[in-house]
This record gives sequence, C-alpha cells and structure tokens, in this order.
Amino acid sequence: MRVILAEDSTLLREGLVRLLLEEGHKVPAAVSDGDALVAAVAEHRPDVVVVDVRMPPTHTDEGLRAALEIRRRWSEVKVLVLSQYVEKRYATELMSADVEGVGYLLKDRVAQVGDFLDALERVGAGGAAFDPEVVRQLLARTTQVDPLARLTAREREVLELMAQGLTNASIAQALHVSQSAVEKHVNSLFDKLRLSHTTGYSRRVLAVLHFLKS
Amino acid sequence: MRLAAEGLRLLGAVALGAVTALIELAFLLLTLPSLGNPNVGAAARRLARLEARRLRLDFDALREGGPLPYLAARAPVGVLGGLVIALLVFGAHMGVLVLAAWARGEPFDGMRPSVPLVAYFGVGGVVLLFLELSGVVGVHALERRLALRMLGPDPTRALERRIAELAESRAGIVAAVDSERRRIERDLHDGLQQRLVALSMLIGRARRGRSELLEQAHQEAQQALAELREVAWRVYPSGLDSLGLEEALAGVAERSGVPVQVACDLRRRPPMAVETAAYFVVCEAVTNAAKHAGATLITVEVHEEDATVVVRVRDDGAGGAQATGGGLSGLARRVAALDGGFEVSSPAGGPTTVTAVLPCG
Repeated sequence: MRVILAEDSTLLREGLVRLLLEEGHKVPAAVSDGDALVAAVAEHRPDVVVVDVRMPPTHTDEGLRAALEIRRRWSEVKVLVLSQYVEKRYATELMSADVEGVGYLLKDRVAQVGDFLDALERVGAGGAAFDPEVVRQLLARTTQVDPLARLTAREREVLELMAQGLTNASIAQALHVSQSAVEKHVNSLFDKLRLSHTTGYSRRVLAVLHFLKS
Repeated sequence: MRLAAEGLRLLGAVALGAVTALIELAFLLLTLPSLGNPNVGAAARRLARLEARRLRLDFDALREGGPLPYLAARAPVGVLGGLVIALLVFGAHMGVLVLAAWARGEPFDGMRPSVPLVAYFGVGGVVLLFLELSGVVGVHALERRLALRMLGPDPTRALERRIAELAESRAGIVAAVDSERRRIERDLHDGLQQRLVALSMLIGRARRGRSELLEQAHQEAQQALAELREVAWRVYPSGLDSLGLEEALAGVAERSGVPVQVACDLRRRPPMAVETAAYFVVCEAVTNAAKHAGATLITVEVHEEDATVVVRVRDDGAGGAQATGGGLSGLARRVAALDGGFEVSSPAGGPTTVTAVLPCG
C-alpha cells in the first residue's frame, strides 16, 4: 500500500516510516503538520493516511481536522487516526458518516507492532479499525436497564471485537472458536440489541458503534 | 546641636501650622456655600498637601480621606499650637525683661534680686519653659496623628482591598497550577510517550526478525530515561531542596543554550516557597530569552534587600515580551501568591528585564 504519515515527533515518524518500508509498503511522504498532510495527499493520492491527532501549531486536534477534510475531499483515501488518549468525540466525528476505511487507534497501540499493522491492513482494505480501549469505554456504560447487560460474557467479547472492526473470521481466530460459533453469537446479540441483521460488513460495525454511543 | 536644630524645626512647623490654620479657617468659611464645587475640592487638596509637607508626611500615601473634613478638624489644633507658641514667646519676653532690668541694677516691677526671689523666678521659668516646649512637641505629634487618621486609609477599606487581592491571587494560583499541569501533561505526551512508543516499535521490529535493532532500542531506552529525568525536574526541581538556590541556578545556566551569568548573593537560605518561586522565575525567563528573544547573553542576579529576595533576569534579546503571555502571567501569579512584586520591562528592540521581589517575612 502507499501510505502517507503525519506525525510531529521526528523520532516516531522515522520509526513508522522504517517499519512500513520493512513491511513492504511505500511511503511517498511523511509530514509533521495538518496543512502539509492535506497538500501531500493532494499530490500523491495515497491508499492510506496515518495521522496523529495532536500536531503543531496548537497541539489540539489539527490531525483530526485534516483527516476529516481528506475524507471529505478524497473519499477513496483511507484514514487511520492515532490519538494520545481516548477522545470519544473524535471517534464519533470520524465514524459519523461511515466507517469504511476509517480507523481510530490509541497511539500506544503502535507499540504493538503486529496489532498496528493489522489495523492498517484492515483500514487499507476498506474495513474499520477501532482501538479496543475506545470500544471498551463505549461499552462501559452498562446499567440495569441497558440491553448490554443482557449479553453473555462471550457475546460481549464478540461485540467488542466486532466494534473494533474485525470480521467474523478474525473474531473466531481471536477467541479460538469456530466461525459458525461466532455467527451464532452475532445473531443472538443482534437480536438482544434489536439491531437489523445487516450483512454488509462495514454497516455492521457502524450499527454496533452507533448503538454503543447512542 | 542636632537636638537644637530639630527643636527649632518643630517650633517653626507648629508656628507655621498656626498661621495656616487661620488661613484654612478663612478658606472654609468663604467656601462653605459652594462645598460641592470641584475647584474647592482641588484647592482643599492642595492645602492638605501643604500640611502633609509641613508635617513631613507622604501625601501620596494619604489620598484616602477627604481633605475638607481634615482641614476643619486640624484648624483648632493649629490654633492651639499658636496659643502654646504665644505663651512661650510671652514667657521668654518676660524673662528677658527681668534679666535686663536686674543686669542694669534697676528693680523690676519694684522687685530687687535676692536669693529667694532669683531661685523662685529661675525654677518657675524652667518649669514653664518645659511645659511650653512639651506643648509644642505634643501639638506637632497630635497634628501628625490627625493627618494620618483622617487622610490615611480607612482600616476597613484597607482590609477589604486586601481581601480582594487575596481572592484574586488565590484564583490566580489555581489557574497557574492548572496551566502547569497542562504543560506537564504535554511534556509527558509529546516527549516521553513518543519516545516509549518509538522504543516499543523498535523492539517490535527487532522481534519481527531484525535483531540488529536491539542495540538501537537499548540506546532509545537510555534516551527515554534521560527525558523522564528532565520532565520530572521541570515538574519540580527536587535538587533545589538539597542543593539550594545557587546550585540549582547554576544547573539552569548549564542546561541553557544561551550563555547565562549567575550572580547569587544570599547570606542565608530563604524560605522554601521563596526559593522555589525564585527558581521558576529564573527558569521561565531564561527559557523565554533563549526561545523567543534570540538573546546572546542572559544575566541573572539574586540578592537580598530589606527582608526580601530580589530576582532580576536581563537579556540582550529583541524585547517585546508580553507580560500577559502564558509563561510570564503564570510567574506573576506565583509571585503574587507570595505577596511579592513582579515586573516585566521589554521595549521593542530590547533589552528585556524580568524582576521579582519576594518577601521573606
């Protein structure tokens, strides 16, 4: 894949570039602020953009704003956002339109190189990748009346992984169960949450995420 | 000799006060119909200023009370002073007449000098002279107290003002603490976290079959440790407690990219809070001078001055520093919390001087 990086810490940017090159990706540009990122995307039209939320000049949400602009202007460019900490608002803004080719990871997730590369692959392939921590925080609002409370422990696990953007096959792999078992759990939890049985994969993630933040 | 000069000055002041009391009485009577007129107020203020100068008081510190009530109150005291002086003059005049008559060998008022008579006049004269001089001193003291009382700040108002100051500085401290915390958070996230993520990434890459990266990862870990030390030191210079201000400032000079000359002249260690505030003032000012002013030399002076520690940081940079900027306003609040004074002088083109006066009481 052709990946453009936007990250203001030189150290991390260099590290990421090396990692991506080692994994066989191409990195036509690596920049350190939002404006430069938009310009680089206009020039190179990469497959995926990996962008840090906090960048100069104000170190607040430049990266996120650049990401939203890129999604608006070049919808074919996939975006993987890296954040210092879980900001539900950012996650929500990102997935407000659709979650095809969108990812939101905690920056620390980059340290788990395998997870990061998997997430990048998922986003690049038009899927979604939401950080387990983000999903956990969205799931943490269980109360007595919350339909989530009616899920079995296994169903909760499946829901978490699904919200992160994993396919049934990946979920089966992660939980070491058969794919048909996963499908059974998915059907039962969709019933419990009164979600429509959408077959489209990204719509499924979207439905779950929208349910979680509603 | 000095006592005599001081005595004469007092006499002069009280005599003058008697004259001005009469003038002021006339002024008050004439302006009674037009009391609200601002011109009257201004004239009264001028008269009060003259009185303050006569009493050797700083009128600028005495702007609280209205001048008109003061003038009305001091008129009788001034007249009393005049009467005391008149008595003194009369007594002295009589004494001189008696002595002159006796010196010429003439009787005075039919009395000739005899031992009991001379003793009687002598003792009586001395006692009366003492009473009159005491009167002069007393009137002068009374005048001063009256001026301080009527023109000086009202104790309740002074307290109210102090409470307002305290409330403001308290809010300032909270704001300063919050902005410090924000800075620490940023230091951790934008510095240390990046390093650790990069380090984990290196290790991750090494585990994916590039074992030569371990060496680099090891170096990266050392760097992260150094960064952690720096961040912790920025949060609180723990060495300050053990090393003292002078050593800690020498450390600041060492770490600065721009040459820093430190002159620290303290006979004893100031209280901890003062030391910490002084340290942060120097730190922030040095950082600003190096980062924004493009200075080539920074001088830091710390010395004691009547129960305060004065910290002065000068740089030869471009000037134009904003005292309202984040770092400097935080310092101002920190200093205000200690009841100190904080001043930034930074004309365009430089030089910039940051001064903090920290009371050690």
